[in-house]
Amino acid sequence: MKATILITLCFLAAAPVVLHAQNDLSPARKQAIDSLALEKVRDLSKYISIVGSKNTPWAEANRVIERTLELFSEGSQMGVSSLARPQIAYYSIRQYMERLMALNYDKVKIDWYDIHYISDLERQPDGRYVGVITIYQRFEGSVGDKMVYRDTTRKDITVYVERKQTQIGGRLIDFWDVLLGDIRVTETRL
Amino acid sequence: MNPVKKHPVHQFARLRPSFGKLLSSRVLLFSLVGIMAIGGTSCSSQKRLAKRHAKEARLAQIEQAKADLHEIINDDGSLSFEVKERKFLDIKDMNLDDKEVKKLLPRAEEKLAKDRVVYLRQKEEELKRKEEELRERERLEKEQRMTYNLIQDALYAVATAPDLRSANTRISEALSIFASPDVPVLILISRDGAIKDYDRPTTIRKYLEMLKDQKKYNNDIENVLFDAAGKITELELKKRF
Amino acid sequence: MIRIILIVLFLTICSVPARAQSFGEYLGDESVLYAQTKQVNQFFRRFNGEESVSGIRYYERDSLYRNPNFRHRYLNVLFDLENHSVGEKMRKDFVEQVTKRNRPNFLNFHAPGWFAEVSTKFIHHGSEVKVILFLKLEQENLGYKWVITDVFYKPFNDLLASEDDGNMLFLHPMSHELDFMNLIKVFQDKDKIAKYASKGFKPNYLTLLLYEIKRGNMKFQTVENVKFHFFQVPGWYFELSDLRRTGYNAGWLITGLIPISETEKELLLKYIYHD
Repeated sequence: MKATILITLCFLAAAPVVLHAQNDLSPARKQAIDSLALEKVRDLSKYISIVGSKNTPWAEANRVIERTLELFSEGSQMGVSSLARPQIAYYSIRQYMERLMALNYDKVKIDWYDIHYISDLERQPDGRYVGVITIYQRFEGSVGDKMVYRDTTRKDITVYVERKQTQIGGRLIDFWDVLLGDIRVTETRL
Repeated sequence: MNPVKKHPVHQFARLRPSFGKLLSSRVLLFSLVGIMAIGGTSCSSQKRLAKRHAKEARLAQIEQAKADLHEIINDDGSLSFEVKERKFLDIKDMNLDDKEVKKLLPRAEEKLAKDRVVYLRQKEEELKRKEEELRERERLEKEQRMTYNLIQDALYAVATAPDLRSANTRISEALSIFASPDVPVLILISRDGAIKDYDRPTTIRKYLEMLKDQKKYNNDIENVLFDAAGKITELELKKRF
Repeated sequence: MIRIILIVLFLTICSVPARAQSFGEYLGDESVLYAQTKQVNQFFRRFNGEESVSGIRYYERDSLYRNPNFRHRYLNVLFDLENHSVGEKMRKDFVEQVTKRNRPNFLNFHAPGWFAEVSTKFIHHGSEVKVILFLKLEQENLGYKWVITDVFYKPFNDLLASEDDGNMLFLHPMSHELDFMNLIKVFQDKDKIAKYASKGFKPNYLTLLLYEIKRGNMKFQTVENVKFHFFQVPGWYFELSDLRRTGYNAGWLITGLIPISETEKELLLKYIYHD
């Protein structure tokens, strides 16, 4: 029990450390951060398909929504526009996920296009770094065997990167805290 | 006053202007003869000296040999067998004509024979110990590999569970090898020399749930820490991008 | 392998953009996505020759980093080729200048000389209205942020535009002796009050917008469109817009290009800001 408390405390004590000139990072390290960010995006996509599927029990879907929110920086929003409605409609991540859960598709399939684009990481005034990952996906919602909704969207996903330090088992661990931010979802025709 | 009589040299000097030169060569000649004479005397004394030195050296050799032989005979194991054996053979090769040395040699040889038995036994034991150490290391490595495989399999099993129920069962099974569900999990994303970059640390429960949700496991085991009960207290994974 | 094919294909479409579109059906939709300039960040990298055709970042040690020949080929696909207001000769002159071996021009994300024009929708006194916001990058601490520099909202402009009707209206120079009692006349005609302001008076529409929002009269709705104005290449102005259309010539592209002198630049800026 003591150990648990200690570990929890250590996690809470995670503090941002000054990241010296991000440009000094070797291309290999930069690439690892890019890959990590892209993996978080893939995790999100998987969470979306779990929550969207009717086969997922209610409690399980709620757990996954909580896990989804952990991927995001607080206050992140989805800005969605479609070919029919070009104006951006705003949803909080929770709203977006809960809306998805309510849609009640039997199955949600999300296919990724191979292409993605990862911007440079730019430093913000608060010292955090921000970048944007652009991905393309095809979303298919089916009821029974019948596909009832399909769209192809482009997603521009904000990624915040911060170098932090925490103590685990008595030693200092440097880690990259990669969090997703606002997502711009645009329906596209390819 | 006849300066010539008084100073015959001067006369010669007048006759031969190179007298000074001659004079100096004469001095040189006498000196040379003198030196040769002295040299003859010193050559023989040098021989004597050398003889004396040789005798002294032999005596010293004998003294040293005696000391060494005594050391061999009285050694209680502070000298290594190889050193003692080398010393003994060197003395034997010297063929020293000394009564005491001659008396000591067989005693030393006898002692060496005893020491050899001990030495060979020790050597054999050392070899055995090393072999055992190697076997133990290999056993531990194998055990570690097996443990790593066990952990790897447990994680993989969660990621590949066919349905929700079996995934949950597999999570419970996997958790049983950890000290608690809050055991920290570190995920190494890159290593650049001494610099290690990690993802945000998580706990084993959250990590297993993530595997269940994402249905994919793409890491390797980098390091594992255990408690006295053999339960995992820290898991370090390495990302395979 | 697919990547290599895509690279070859992309280099081909760099030189013959119209014909290459027929390749799309063989490679599926993805080749189109590779070709499109997907982010403004990518526009900068492509303009400067800082990434490979397939989008892999070049670093200074890479031989093709900012390579003039590579840029020369790349730059041509950064134009909206369906827009005939940018002639081929003008485009060629521009590309020649920026890729000049001894004095090339590059775009710098952090430097001044470029800004965003964002068309937005607000609700003003209950009805939906269009407001244009102008933003630029500003440094703070060691980082950067976008800041609002100006606003164009027609009702604000109409309300405050000084109309030169030839009538000379002013407070005479001895007004002070009468305790400025003639001020009553100044504020009688609300359409003319701006005439009594000093020569350098320029209404600040951003202040007005903030005032209206803070009073609760205006509420932000949504973003409609974004484009950028670039003055970073000496002697030139260009406009960058996101052309969301099918085909290879899509994404962030140069939609307007004008050779420009310093005085013309001032005039153009006034025009952009609706001054």
